[in-house]
Amino acid sequence: MNRKSFAWLIVGALALTATTTAAWAQTADELIEKNIQAKGGREKIKAVQTLRMTGNMDIGQGAKAPFTVEMKRPHKVRMEFVIQGMTGVQAYDGSGGWAVMPFMGKKEPEAMSADDLKGMEDQADFEGPLFDYKAKGSQVELLGKESVEGTPAYKLKLTKKNGDISYIYLDADAYLEIKEVGKRKFRGQEVEFESTSGDYKTVEGLVFPFSLSSKPKGAPSGQTITVQKLEVNPSVDDTRFAMPKVEKKEGAPKPQ
Amino acid sequence: MQRIAQWLPCLVAAGLSIGVSAAQAQVEVDESTFGGLTARALGPAQTGGRISAIEAVPDSPLTIYVGAAGGGVWKSIDGGLSYKSIFDEQVQSIGALAADPKDAKTLWVGTGESWTRNSVSVGDGLYKTTNGGDTWQKMGLPDSERIARIAVHPEDGNTVWVCATGHLWDGNEERGVYKTTDGGKSWKRTLFVDRETGCSDLAVDPQDPKIVYAGMWQFRRFPWAFRSGGPGSGLFKSTDGGETWRPVKTGLPTGTKGRIAVAIAPSRPAVVYALVEAKETALYRSDDVGESWTRVNSSFNVQVRPFYFARLVVDPTDYNNVYKPGLTLTISTDGGKSFSSPFSGGFNFGGVHSDMHALWINPKNPQELLLGTDGGLYESYDRGHHWRHAKALPVAQFYHVSYDMEWPYNVYGGLQDNGSWMGPSRGVAAVMNKDWRNVGGGDGFWAFRDPHEKDFVYSESQGGNVSRLRLSTSESREIKPLPGAGEKELRFNWNTPIHLSASTPGTIYIGAQYLFRSRDRGDSWERISPDLTTNDPKKQGQLESGGLSIDNSSAENHTTIYSIAESPKNPNLIWVGTDDGNLQVTRDGGKTWTNVAGAASNIPGLPKGTWVSTVEPGRFEEGTAFATFDGHQTGDMKPYVYKTTDYGKTWTPLAGKGLAGYAHVVRQDLVNPGLLFVGTELGLYISVDGGGHWARFTGNFPKVAVRDVAVQPRESDLLIATHGRGMYVVDDISPLRQLTQKVLDSEFALLPGRPATMVIPASQQDFVSDEEFVGFNPEESATITYYLKKRHLFGDLKAEVYDAQGKLISTLAGSKRKGLNRIEWPMRLPPPKIAGANSIIESQYAFFGPRVPAGTYTVKLIKGSETQTGQVELVPDPRSTHSAEDRALQQKTAMQLYGMLERQTYLAEASLQASEQAAKVAAGLPATPAKDGLRKQVEAAGARLETFHKRMVATSEGGWLGGEVQLREKLGTLYGGINGYEGRPTKSQIDSAGVLNGELEKAEKDFAGIVDHDVAPLNRSLAGRKLPPIQVPSLEEWKKKDSGAEGKPAAGMPVVLPLFF
Repeated sequence: MNRKSFAWLIVGALALTATTTAAWAQTADELIEKNIQAKGGREKIKAVQTLRMTGNMDIGQGAKAPFTVEMKRPHKVRMEFVIQGMTGVQAYDGSGGWAVMPFMGKKEPEAMSADDLKGMEDQADFEGPLFDYKAKGSQVELLGKESVEGTPAYKLKLTKKNGDISYIYLDADAYLEIKEVGKRKFRGQEVEFESTSGDYKTVEGLVFPFSLSSKPKGAPSGQTITVQKLEVNPSVDDTRFAMPKVEKKEGAPKPQ
Repeated sequence: MQRIAQWLPCLVAAGLSIGVSAAQAQVEVDESTFGGLTARALGPAQTGGRISAIEAVPDSPLTIYVGAAGGGVWKSIDGGLSYKSIFDEQVQSIGALAADPKDAKTLWVGTGESWTRNSVSVGDGLYKTTNGGDTWQKMGLPDSERIARIAVHPEDGNTVWVCATGHLWDGNEERGVYKTTDGGKSWKRTLFVDRETGCSDLAVDPQDPKIVYAGMWQFRRFPWAFRSGGPGSGLFKSTDGGETWRPVKTGLPTGTKGRIAVAIAPSRPAVVYALVEAKETALYRSDDVGESWTRVNSSFNVQVRPFYFARLVVDPTDYNNVYKPGLTLTISTDGGKSFSSPFSGGFNFGGVHSDMHALWINPKNPQELLLGTDGGLYESYDRGHHWRHAKALPVAQFYHVSYDMEWPYNVYGGLQDNGSWMGPSRGVAAVMNKDWRNVGGGDGFWAFRDPHEKDFVYSESQGGNVSRLRLSTSESREIKPLPGAGEKELRFNWNTPIHLSASTPGTIYIGAQYLFRSRDRGDSWERISPDLTTNDPKKQGQLESGGLSIDNSSAENHTTIYSIAESPKNPNLIWVGTDDGNLQVTRDGGKTWTNVAGAASNIPGLPKGTWVSTVEPGRFEEGTAFATFDGHQTGDMKPYVYKTTDYGKTWTPLAGKGLAGYAHVVRQDLVNPGLLFVGTELGLYISVDGGGHWARFTGNFPKVAVRDVAVQPRESDLLIATHGRGMYVVDDISPLRQLTQKVLDSEFALLPGRPATMVIPASQQDFVSDEEFVGFNPEESATITYYLKKRHLFGDLKAEVYDAQGKLISTLAGSKRKGLNRIEWPMRLPPPKIAGANSIIESQYAFFGPRVPAGTYTVKLIKGSETQTGQVELVPDPRSTHSAEDRALQQKTAMQLYGMLERQTYLAEASLQASEQAAKVAAGLPATPAKDGLRKQVEAAGARLETFHKRMVATSEGGWLGGEVQLREKLGTLYGGINGYEGRPTKSQIDSAGVLNGELEKAEKDFAGIVDHDVAPLNRSLAGRKLPPIQVPSLEEWKKKDSGAEGKPAAGMPVVLPLFF
């Protein structure tokens, strides 16, 4: 560890004597390449067909919801969480999304709104938005090096095809994501969020964050997700993502 | 104080890095060291602070930008309903705002207010955002100190004019009119008079932007006087887009002029109005593009206080409608000939706050006004007849803070032009505007609760008008000391110091030029000093203050006492600091005094006569004291912080690396002598090494002027009085007390905190709207604090909590930033097991686990392969009326029901799973039951299981409103009720628990019966047909499998999983 940081110190000292432009020799694409390397490399990431994560979501006052997330290429995602023995489901099959929220007695799946779907589409992109960003219609710009809560990080500006903008911070030594701050358009209004990732661990040669926190920008607290188990390429059937067919029931009592 | 004295630093840490550790430098404290230690804003927003600038984009709904005198820039995108702060990291004093007319996301901010009252702050130039305030670029003019106006070219956003008012307390070069044509990359000063004269207003013709007007103003403030007016003042015109200028004089006063405001009528730009301060201040009008002028009005509100109110706004749609913000708002509809007020009879008692500085009129609907006053922002939709106060803007300008010892404790302080207030450090659910109580009027400064006569609150208004309020009746008594026969007038500072003796009940001090002491709460006073000031007549010009317009509001009272402090170690040792640079000390209760600063200054590096902004006696050694000195009123912006250890004979400077802005206050921590807090005009600074190094505190805390700081001794909370963002609290600073060099150099360290109070569970039905500020409560949790030398990136970082028996009761995700981190442990077991049914159980406390009993718990902080162990102590809420026995009974009953819910959930889940298995088996058997007895047998068992499950949980289609109640619903609701109250459960509840336990035992017996009499024989039959059995796990097997916890869904809870790869 220390031998490495000593070497970096020398590199740093040399960089100081160079011109300022030389200090910015790294381009966004080079950084993204390093980010991909730090996660296990392009080939390994490409080889991932499915993922399954299970863990707990802290939702305040000691309350935790166990959750499972399943993802499958191309662009399929299903999330489940359990509250008082009832399971909520949100899923996206690459074109449409649906949800089951049984907590007030409604057991049938409902189609998700276009706004809610945007979040699902983002999550279905399980390579992450930087990977092959050009093919995804996004733009990335390196804004420089900044301190994230005292930790040096590269700041990348990501502009998605739909115009949503976020800023992704890569740890300057490890090149892994540590923070993202951005805005999503939600019913015509911009909603700001910030999220952090950490507790990176290696699973089958790939590096994943096992701790994720997100909150609306400026809020005192939000959700923290702790991944307990992560499976690479488990068997996940396509039917998990498709909206179940519902038989129409006549005369079912309705809440007032 | 520290009841948690023991913690066991880990033995590991060293291992990996022994090889080169000698070469490692010591870790220095910087902003990131305080990391996750964050401040909470308490408000108030019930009452505002001064609003100095307003800009809006006239779309529907309006986008509104509000600039506060000391509280930064706030943005509303919903027409003024809700606001958010967008300028926290920059200097908070705002002079001017201008949006690009072609691009609403581009906003220019000129920092440094130009309403140059005694307490005005400073700016550091221009800023620009091109994304609506997400990010800011500094755009130059760093030495302009204050900016009165920015104008963006109506067609070309790269062309901008800046009206730089310049320095208030000395002369400078960077003032006058500046112009850029490249979006702010470069600036050209096109109009400059001299070092004493700045720009007070600027207007660009919207139809022909080659025509520009500028008011130039000669002015200067001294600690003892303000002077407006001089030969430099005048109105200027340019006809080449502000490149060259000439004075315009025809019709304007010929003598000395002061502050000048100028406004063009947008609907007919040949009409221009100018307010000219002169011997007779008046409104002038030109109908020929500013070439010649006619005096049209000199009514009171037009003339009043030009340095503070020189602003004119012309209705964008009608060139004869002129608005004059001033002491009140007056409006002309006849081109300035006459003015009347929209307020009834011209008076404004009890309505909109007086002192108006900014006005915006919607060009698309000129009935709609936005008005900035000393008391905040107002909106009107009927040209000023009715107003709404914006209550989402916490921009109050405190001078001081104090606290009481109630639970929860209250904070006290006085506000610039908004009276004195008390407010709770936490509310039932949050600190709301309505929780604040007004305890005094005028401009407020010091306010204290009497620690012994708790019904009394002392507060004051400007110039030493101290009063004593009886809280229970709101009766107020003036207790100001008055001059005796043949005595000189008393000189009280604008911000007169009042001090409560910490040692002697009923003793209070107040300072004029003499120090007064009362032993009876202000009923009588004794003078205990001679004149402690320089009594320099040259510095007593307040009666002539103002220059052209006499302005004697007591704001310039000088040669007065400004700070008083009795030593907590010795009540006869009293320190007094004056605004003219004397620092006096008595060691015999006022009989003799020694001036340890002043003329024979022995304070190294301190210019003579520098204002003593605080003196803070040491809390640990009698001879020690700290002091801040503030020279900004002579143009000296440096921070001065000193320490003495010999009663003031010698002084050591502490204002080392890291400190910025002129210093208002220094305070020493109550526990760690080396922990110091300094408030400056540019933020809060903390030193953990006795003043050797300083770092700005940035945890949810803007770069705002900090006028005072206090530490609430019981809670170890840091209270911060800001002059522009209201009051802030940093909950439990005890981790700061542990930041020794050894801790800073360690890889990670668990740091003890204060005992956690188990706050009585309470809720309040309150439907708050977005237009109200809400101050968050601290979380109801025990806080686990630790230090990380570097951000944690790889592997686990979590905390485990163990009870006294060593049982793991909670696992908590850790935060990972560099510096201090905090984890909140809610002091509860995991939520109860509850079976799935047709609806959630709505009882709030059914979502939470039972609270653990008070006592000491062990915390293991796990970082990768390393572990540190410490303890947290939980103590009951001191307000709790419950005996230990009653609390224990509540615990026992809640735990009993918690256990019953688990047993019940087992029955519900096991019966449901078994009936589902039976249905599957039956479906696989031949369809004609007559020919297959096994199918009949399976169906019969399945039906019995299903019937049983329906007894366990509500399953009807009705869901939330179905009203079905089965054993799950009964148990869950009873548990919720008992879990939400920490005293003895009612007899009814205890009886009901017994009844339900009987029902549960019967259900367990019934289920065992079904398993034995239906499932077991069935499984034998299934085995005969080589079919798999119906599996029913035992309670123990089920418990092992089902280890997941549960909780309450947050509103619309989306599962957000960012950055999976």
